[in-house]
Amino acid sequence: MVHAIDDDAAFLQAVSRFLRASGLQVKTFCSAAEFLKELAHDTTGCVLADLHMPHINGLELQTVLIHHQHSLPIVFLTGAGDIPSTVQAMRHGAVDFLEKMAPKEKLLNAVQRALASDISQREARTRQHKLQVLFNLLTSREKEVLSHVVRGELNKQIGAQLGICERTVKVHRLAITSKLGVPSVAELTRMTIEAGFFRT
Amino acid sequence: MSCVTVLWAMNAAICLTLAGMHFLIWLNDRKEYKHLIFCWSAFSAMGCAAVELMLMHAETTGEFAVLLHFGHVLVWMLVVSVIFFAHLYLQAGKPVLLWSTVAVRSLALIIGLVSPYSMGYGEITSLKQITILGESVSMAVGTPHPLAFVPILSSVLLFVFMTDVTVTVWRRRERRRAIMLCGSMVFFVLMATVHSALIHRGVIHSPFLVSFAFLAIILAMAYELSRDVIRASRLVHKLQASEADLRESEQRLSMATDAASLGVWVRDFTKDEFWASESWRRIFGVAADEAIHFDNLLGRIHPEDLSMFRQKLEKAVGEGGTFEAEFRLMFPDGGTRWIASRGHVKVSEAGRPLIIRGVSVDITTRRNAEQEMHDLRRELAHAGRVTMLGQLSTALAHELSQPLGAILRNAEAAELFLAMNPPDLAEVKNILADIRKDDQRAGEVIARMRALLRRGEIEPISLEAALLVSEVIALVREDAATRGVVIESVMPANLPAVWGDRVQFQQVLLNLILNGMDALSERQSGDRHMAIRATQNGAEFVEIAVSDTGPGITEKMDRIFEPFFTTKSDGMGIGLSISRTMIEAQGGRIWATNNDSIGATFHFSMPIDRAVSV
Repeated sequence: MVHAIDDDAAFLQAVSRFLRASGLQVKTFCSAAEFLKELAHDTTGCVLADLHMPHINGLELQTVLIHHQHSLPIVFLTGAGDIPSTVQAMRHGAVDFLEKMAPKEKLLNAVQRALASDISQREARTRQHKLQVLFNLLTSREKEVLSHVVRGELNKQIGAQLGICERTVKVHRLAITSKLGVPSVAELTRMTIEAGFFRT
Repeated sequence: MSCVTVLWAMNAAICLTLAGMHFLIWLNDRKEYKHLIFCWSAFSAMGCAAVELMLMHAETTGEFAVLLHFGHVLVWMLVVSVIFFAHLYLQAGKPVLLWSTVAVRSLALIIGLVSPYSMGYGEITSLKQITILGESVSMAVGTPHPLAFVPILSSVLLFVFMTDVTVTVWRRRERRRAIMLCGSMVFFVLMATVHSALIHRGVIHSPFLVSFAFLAIILAMAYELSRDVIRASRLVHKLQASEADLRESEQRLSMATDAASLGVWVRDFTKDEFWASESWRRIFGVAADEAIHFDNLLGRIHPEDLSMFRQKLEKAVGEGGTFEAEFRLMFPDGGTRWIASRGHVKVSEAGRPLIIRGVSVDITTRRNAEQEMHDLRRELAHAGRVTMLGQLSTALAHELSQPLGAILRNAEAAELFLAMNPPDLAEVKNILADIRKDDQRAGEVIARMRALLRRGEIEPISLEAALLVSEVIALVREDAATRGVVIESVMPANLPAVWGDRVQFQQVLLNLILNGMDALSERQSGDRHMAIRATQNGAEFVEIAVSDTGPGITEKMDRIFEPFFTTKSDGMGIGLSISRTMIEAQGGRIWATNNDSIGATFHFSMPIDRAVSV
């Protein structure tokens, strides 16, 4: 879903027409405020916003989204772009900064990149969420053992460090792999990093 | 001691004293001949008194005769001197009378000198003793001279001459003089003549009293002269007092001019002299004892101001009016100061300049401040123009990008809708309607911008090209001086009036001159020249040509008039394109050519005002 925001109704309609004809879903807003009113936590897609708008302009909208930790990717459109606002927009993570007269390929490309970026971000977030649920099944002792395992330490070393026998370490490791459902140490390490469980 | 001796001796003494006094006065002032003549008269009168006294004591006829000869010489001397005194001092008496009196008197003297008993007597037979004032004195007894009428004629002439003088002086309303001096002269001359003649004829028995008559005349003369001396001395006192006043006021003036740093100067055209006060010398850097020559001063005026200075000075001198100029003065050390001078020319009745007096003041500080202000204003104006155009172009781009972007996106969408199977023709129809609307919107944006850029409508009127050109030159004179550009204008006298808008004409000319000055910035300061020429181009146009000695035009001649074409780093490239729009709107044409030798010339033509030219 592309959220197109522009104070110029004619251009808004034209661009949404074009994007729809290109096979995209488009929702139009004639001001940033109107968009922010409808914005929900599970809003997906991307934002296609005019830089120069009354009341809340494009850059201000970007700031508000960042403030609310909303990661909707933004593509900016402008009649006449100046260097300072371009720099600010790109530094704050805008996907692209296009002139209104930009070629259609560039526009489509930018919108599609924004949508793809939204999907991948969303997937990453979902997976992380799932992993966190799994990791929360582990006991604190098991988490402790896991932290040593992902550092590549042997059972004997882990036992010596935690003051437990090697056998007990093995029992904990078995519990960890069965709860997380991953047999190999390599996979375990990848998951642990992905879940943001350990910062190595 | 006898009374007679005392009286005659006193008479002689008075005359001698007066003679001595006036001789001294004459010695002090040799130009005052009246004192010398008077001294001569008084001296002769003294001699007469002495001779008369001796005659009274003469014992033989021979002694008497000799003394008579002396007496006659002295009388001649006295009469002649009195005549000349009257003539010169009173500025009166007819020369004919004067010279005839002198001639007859001289004739009488000669006759007297060749006669044995002088002029009075033909023969003296004996001396007779008579008693006067209780004293016995000698007196001649004899026959009168056969030519005795000659001295009488001379006395009559003298009487006539003196009467003439008296009348003249009386008519001049100098009545006291006429009575005192002339009156006494006439009366006593008459008295002495009659008395002597009677003695000669033996009618009365008396010694000669000529010397007393003369004493009276001498006293009258002395009185007049002493009045002159007193008057002169009073004048001297007055003069001294007024000189003191003058010095005082001079000092005050000098203090005032010093306080205001005003240099006072005077140029005398008749003597070709130049005088200047100390403060003037300080301003102009001229030593206190250095002689000032006007031509040297002209040589120190900045070459760019010199012709203006000369023109103004010549105008003031020619018309006898006020002269006012501000100019740069160059100093030997290479420095330059701004000087303001103001003077007034005094002319003779014939209209010839006599003298010009004026003041000068150093206005460098003021001029520098003005210059800074001017520079600042120009920079601000330029910055303002650039900023305004920058904002304008941004606004234009933004305003236009909306409808144009919409048109583009709509067209692209339409293509996609047409490519569908089946094509969504209803949507395409909507799109086409929107495209038309957006196209109109873009047109409106452009129209609005043009309205904003165009300031007012053209108001064509009849224009004097020469006048407008000189106004524009006056406008850029300061700027040109700062940039070291010399602008010359050549305007034919019989140029016909043109038909156009005054403001736009001047804006175009101003723009071309400013462009020319920009082009000259690469040249050495001595090579920065511009010329503005007006000529009649055919029967319908007046052409104005603005030439510079800059690098010329290397680009295509047509391109330089296109909008946004510029060769200047800070230029917008709109000056010439706007100029072209303006000139063409008035029915004229604008074009550029490179000069044969150096630089470029921009020409524009304006239609001749037919109403006037027909």
